[in-house]
Amino acid sequence: MTSSRLIARYTIEHADHFEVITRYADTAETLHLPKEAPILPSLAAEHPAAIWFERKMQDDFSLRLEGTWDTRPLVQQEHFPHNTHPLLTSFDATQSLTPISAHPYPYETVDGDGVFEVPVGPIHAGIIEPGHFQFFQAGERILHLEVRHFYKHRGIEKMLEGTDPLHAWPIVERISGTESLAYQIAWRDILLQATRTELPESLRRYHALLLEMERIVHHLTDLGFIPNDAGFGAALAIASRLAEDARRQLKTLTGHRFGFGAVRQDIPAAYDPQQLLAWVKQLEQELQTFSDWILDVPSLWDRFDTTGILSRDDALTYDAIGVVARASGLPLDRRDTPWYRELGWECITETSGDVAARFLVRLREVAQSLTLIRHLAEDAAPVNTRLGTIEDGRYEAFAESPLGELYLTADLKGGRIKRFFVRDPSFVNWQVLHRMMPGNIIADFPLINKSCDLSYAGNDL
Amino acid sequence: MVRFWEQRAKRGIVTEHPEWEEEMAALRKGLKKGIHKHFAGSLAIRMVDSGSCNACEAECNALSNPYYALERLGIHFVASPRHADVMLLSGVMTFNMLPHVLDAWEQIPEPKWCITLGDCPLLEAPFTQTYAIEGPADTHLPIHHHIPGCPPTPEEIIRGLLEFLKTLG
Ligand code: SF4
Repeated sequence: MTSSRLIARYTIEHADHFEVITRYADTAETLHLPKEAPILPSLAAEHPAAIWFERKMQDDFSLRLEGTWDTRPLVQQEHFPHNTHPLLTSFDATQSLTPISAHPYPYETVDGDGVFEVPVGPIHAGIIEPGHFQFFQAGERILHLEVRHFYKHRGIEKMLEGTDPLHAWPIVERISGTESLAYQIAWRDILLQATRTELPESLRRYHALLLEMERIVHHLTDLGFIPNDAGFGAALAIASRLAEDARRQLKTLTGHRFGFGAVRQDIPAAYDPQQLLAWVKQLEQELQTFSDWILDVPSLWDRFDTTGILSRDDALTYDAIGVVARASGLPLDRRDTPWYRELGWECITETSGDVAARFLVRLREVAQSLTLIRHLAEDAAPVNTRLGTIEDGRYEAFAESPLGELYLTADLKGGRIKRFFVRDPSFVNWQVLHRMMPGNIIADFPLINKSCDLSYAGNDL
Repeated sequence: MVRFWEQRAKRGIVTEHPEWEEEMAALRKGLKKGIHKHFAGSLAIRMVDSGSCNACEAECNALSNPYYALERLGIHFVASPRHADVMLLSGVMTFNMLPHVLDAWEQIPEPKWCITLGDCPLLEAPFTQTYAIEGPADTHLPIHHHIPGCPPTPEEIIRGLLEFLKTLG
């Protein structure tokens, strides 16, 4: 590793130049590229995860990449008109595009005797989001996988430009529905900074509790679906019931099953911590039973162990985050703060980097989230926070979504959003998925993919 | 493992919300009857996401949890459009998905119905029109029925499917 972890790379357009910001874990670097020759030196050699960020900038802003082997379009697919760069200020957000006749996407290639390709997607079997997976096979064995996304690209960044930040809530909370509370908390932090407002402690605690609720629903769902993808349906029946109970608790708390709208509202007057704690107690027992049972099914662990290994080195090289990174031994979690540590939070990691490790991290994190809720649930009266007036400036915020680190920035000007940029944890982790494939059989792909459970919506924007 | 079965035997079948269960039972009965009448007991749905926030998918997945157990009523989410009676469409119609959605629709054999799920396809969710969104879905497909909500809850989806069956006579 040459430098610290890469979090994001993105562009802001100015009158005569492009500003490219490279955000690392501990620093940020800025480049100014003249508009006549916007040539961006690539970071791909040191940080392979920079590739999608850079290809996206090429599509969005017409930047030209230098020092990289991958300059293919990313967001702009077969029918996307040429020379169209929607994030340029000169581009009208609502204009409709005229599809051109398809120009085929040049997939990566793998050569060799008997090597064949299996294209899968964008529409998949079952109820899942669309995306394309191109497998390069030697018989059953996967040699390589190329992940191709952005089918769901809704133009969120452009959609939010020019919006009053206070009116951006309904869209921000629907960027990736199963991570909605994390997005809301990150947006809350941006607004707090922009209005120089202090967050009352009781509200901070209440929001942290909601974030753990979201994690519990998400992880429980996975704890059912991962074994289900290994043919063990009984686990799905149990875990999906527990997930449904948790989802209903979230509805009791916020009035919405996904907590949409929760963070911009006050603590509800009907908030009843005792009722919540009774459910926590019950789930703790059920989780223990589930855990005792499932850890003792040898044929299931036969499928989990050593399947889809992401080595610690690869996790580092690809700047992986979230559950994926923690299962490969990297203690990366945005909750790693004195505030959370005081609540008893500790970073949960595993070392084997396989499906088993990712399953175990989730299992242990549900238990930990329940403990956190025990500490966070308390009688709280509505606090009626008043935000001051919005001050122009550039703000950034982080949150640990159920998937991993979420990074959000907003450049505010004249009380409006000039530039909105968000990096979903999936955007980085999708780029590392292919490192888990070599040596595995194609039939295990759904299992490996599910064990990472990444968001397509948050990735595609 | 042994302990699990012991607990399981001790616990038996639990009905946690008797009233809700009763209501669900009535809905289920209606659905089952409708499916029997119009689809010979088996309704095959191809779910297509054309640009959702993924909450609509999560609620569809929840339909198969033991509370709702939709499969028991003869409703199956199928892998291939060629096996489907209904296309259940969620999400805004993105520029990038449009050709694939139309392709999937074409592959569904007649007679077929398209049901939109959630506020997105009709552009009623908070998302506003951008270059990347191809207008409301009904400009591209014949929408037979709509299930509103953001997202519609599993219960609302079940009610919506029941209403759809009623439109068939
Ligand atoms: S209707 Fe609402 S919940 Fe469903 S995909 Fe759209 S934004 Fe998400």
